[in-house]
Amino acid sequence: MITRLSINNLTKRFGGLVAVGEVSFDVPVDGVTAVIGPNGAGKTTLFSLISGFLPPTEGTIRFEDDNIVGLTPDKLAARGLVRTFQLVQLFPEMSVLDNVKVGQHLHTSSGLLAAVLRPRATRAEEAQVEAKARELLDLARLSHLADRPAKILSYGQQRLLELVRALAAQPRLILLDEPAAGLDANESKHLAAMIRQIAASGVTVLLIEHDMSLVMSVADRVIVLDFGRKIAEGTPAEVRAHPAVLEAYLGGVEIADV
Amino acid sequence: MTLPNTTSTERAGLLLRAWPLQLLPWAVSAAIVGYAFIVGGYVATVIAFALVYVVFVTGLNLFMGFANQVSFGQNAFAGLGGYASAILTTTYNWPVLPAMIAGIVLAVVIALIIGYPTLRLKGHYLAMATLAIGLITYEIAVEWQSMTQGYLGISGIPPLGIGSYEIISDRGQLAILSIVALLAVFIAARIKSSRMGRAFLALGASENAALALGINVSRTKLIAFLTAAAFAALAGALFVHVVGYVSPEVFGLHMVILGFTMLYVGGIGSIAGPLIGALLISLLPEVLRGFKDYQDLFYGTALILLLIYAPRGLAAFFERRERTGSAS
Amino acid sequence: MSDFTYFAQVLVSGLGTGCIYGLIGIGFCVIYNASGIVNFAQGAFVMLGGMITQVALTRLGLPLPIAAIIAILLVAISGTVLERVVVRPLWDRNATMFVMILATLAAQIVVERATLLAVGDQPRTLPVFTDLPPLKFGGVAVSLQLIWILVTSCLIVAGLAVFFQKTKTGKAMRACAIDREAAALQGIPVKRMLALSFALSAGLGALAGVLITPTQYTAFNVGVPFAISGFIAAIVGGFGKPSGAFLGGLLLGVVQAAAIAGFGSGLKNVAALSMLLIFLFLRPGGIVGASK
Repeated sequence: MITRLSINNLTKRFGGLVAVGEVSFDVPVDGVTAVIGPNGAGKTTLFSLISGFLPPTEGTIRFEDDNIVGLTPDKLAARGLVRTFQLVQLFPEMSVLDNVKVGQHLHTSSGLLAAVLRPRATRAEEAQVEAKARELLDLARLSHLADRPAKILSYGQQRLLELVRALAAQPRLILLDEPAAGLDANESKHLAAMIRQIAASGVTVLLIEHDMSLVMSVADRVIVLDFGRKIAEGTPAEVRAHPAVLEAYLGGVEIADV
Repeated sequence: MTLPNTTSTERAGLLLRAWPLQLLPWAVSAAIVGYAFIVGGYVATVIAFALVYVVFVTGLNLFMGFANQVSFGQNAFAGLGGYASAILTTTYNWPVLPAMIAGIVLAVVIALIIGYPTLRLKGHYLAMATLAIGLITYEIAVEWQSMTQGYLGISGIPPLGIGSYEIISDRGQLAILSIVALLAVFIAARIKSSRMGRAFLALGASENAALALGINVSRTKLIAFLTAAAFAALAGALFVHVVGYVSPEVFGLHMVILGFTMLYVGGIGSIAGPLIGALLISLLPEVLRGFKDYQDLFYGTALILLLIYAPRGLAAFFERRERTGSAS
Repeated sequence: MSDFTYFAQVLVSGLGTGCIYGLIGIGFCVIYNASGIVNFAQGAFVMLGGMITQVALTRLGLPLPIAAIIAILLVAISGTVLERVVVRPLWDRNATMFVMILATLAAQIVVERATLLAVGDQPRTLPVFTDLPPLKFGGVAVSLQLIWILVTSCLIVAGLAVFFQKTKTGKAMRACAIDREAAALQGIPVKRMLALSFALSAGLGALAGVLITPTQYTAFNVGVPFAISGFIAAIVGGFGKPSGAFLGGLLLGVVQAAAIAGFGSGLKNVAALSMLLIFLFLRPGGIVGASK
């Protein structure tokens, strides 16, 4: 098993509060890994630590053999680690298409002078960016809205757009922060299919999720956090039967339902 | 094509749709400049100033409208560009074009030096720091008398021109300034629809999302700041050569408020906004006779009212804008 | 004059202007605490305070104390007008912080230009409050106006401390500063506090203007430099802390006086502005507060 991300003894304290405490786990290259846990379990803090938005108090985060603690989010994105946000962070006034084009920033190079003079290389690059963006919009079934401003999208569409925008950055590890939040059953199903497709294309997926049905249907491995600590780890079936998990989820009602 | 069953109003409606509203600001701007060109004289001078401001406000729009940053100190860079060009051509007898270029380079270098620490600031600290930069430049222009001649100002600055060819006539100046202003607007439009322009807009909308997508936010901000400074310096240099005179007051706080009023009248963030905003605001004092003394009073009041009641300015009418809501 | 007395003289005059900057800085803090707004029109209050007193004194022939009180009250009212006409509509529309700054800066220009049209561009001054020769301490001369400034400022700072600690209104304003939403939930009329903070802040600014004008002069355009100095005082003191702002003002006053003594009065504003930039770049949290 090749490891994409390796977290060792990761701790984040805010004053006296331990948001994430001595968490260690590995994320293998293949498949979908999910982090679950009740509200306030430290999932989002964990994501912020991995994606460079927060500095950890202690511990290491290795991404493909390098310790990435201390690198800024843009540097991490350049290395192939890209995240989405729990509260969708689109560029609302920009068109749906342009949102995806921004996602390709890292893999293009034209600067201001090229913007003004538009030499052939820049025009070619722009055409490529456009084609790639449209391809990704097809994947999200948003092509018909390409030229509309992103803010007119429904909530579910905004989530999908954020996902394909992150894909446009060509990550090798994508962090999805509650991707199914606010989606209806249909959209959720479409999302699950997309996530499987992303994983099948060789991109490692690490996601935080509340929606258990999504986790159970897409995740290959599940890590359970409670009060900032890792309490269980395993396949969805193993985790579902784990006594500590059942307790954390108040008798396991949510999990038993699935 | 004639449709047998349409009434004249319906046909008028079709015509309106065929002639998109987006063209309106361009048509009005062309009409204003064209009129000034025909009439010449005083009107041509007024519109010449307006075109200089088009360049200044376009730069302001890049930094504030696109990248959504704050600067109350763009007058500093206009002042640097203007004074450098004025001093080089008068005291050191440089030709106009190299002097202007030197002024722009100087302004961009200074912007680079102060931009790095300044742009790390946020919110009202950024606002106050940029305001201070503008005021320091003003104070230096007043105090460094051996160079700037203080309040007296520098006169006898040569007009625009290349080599021995000088553009002295009103119409000649108007023509060259129209070209420069259009070029500035064209550059802004090209930037907006480019990779860098999208990065400006992205960090303006959400710094975190831009960071997460690998955009080096502080560097991109700095690039936007330097571009805006270059536009401001070009405007400042154009100004001194068009008027032939420069004093500290030219680049004072008045310039900041005037620039913002123009930007908000035209529509912040839009391409045509700086053009139409600068032209209309410059025409106002001429339309209302005896208005001169009340200029800044009027601009300030207009700006407050715009900010409260029409924050998108004229762009609200000529740019397509969609409401938030669901789409399928 | 020995080096020491020269130094002491500079220090004393610096403390005088420092008190004024401190009062203006407190004005910034009062509004900022109640609303999170930085009022860039703060300088207009200072200018109006001196200007209205001068006009009431010379044109209406009122005695100085009456003229000063009328000026301070009028400016306090104009503060609430600014709040109602400019700030409140933007506040209600959830305007961004930048729009709020720009609008108050525009208001500054409007007041400035209206004053220019009303009274012209000639600098005006006020008579000193007590026309007696300066007191001598060793070789150091301390004018009575300076004593007026020091005593009044200290009384105001003490009075404000009592106001914020002991009175119901003062406590309500502090509650707004800590958490506006929680304050609203507790039934504190947040919007009235906003209006009150503008009145208080404007009154403080006007008082500063009245106190300083006899030692300098006032003109339509003195507002912005005063506002910047007050802002620096507020920043040096760790934004939002009135007592810190007062100390920050004293520090700025002394530094500025030293700069004038060293380099000449032309660089007075450059010295203040440079101090602002240095503080913003190096210690944005001020010297009193923790670095943010």
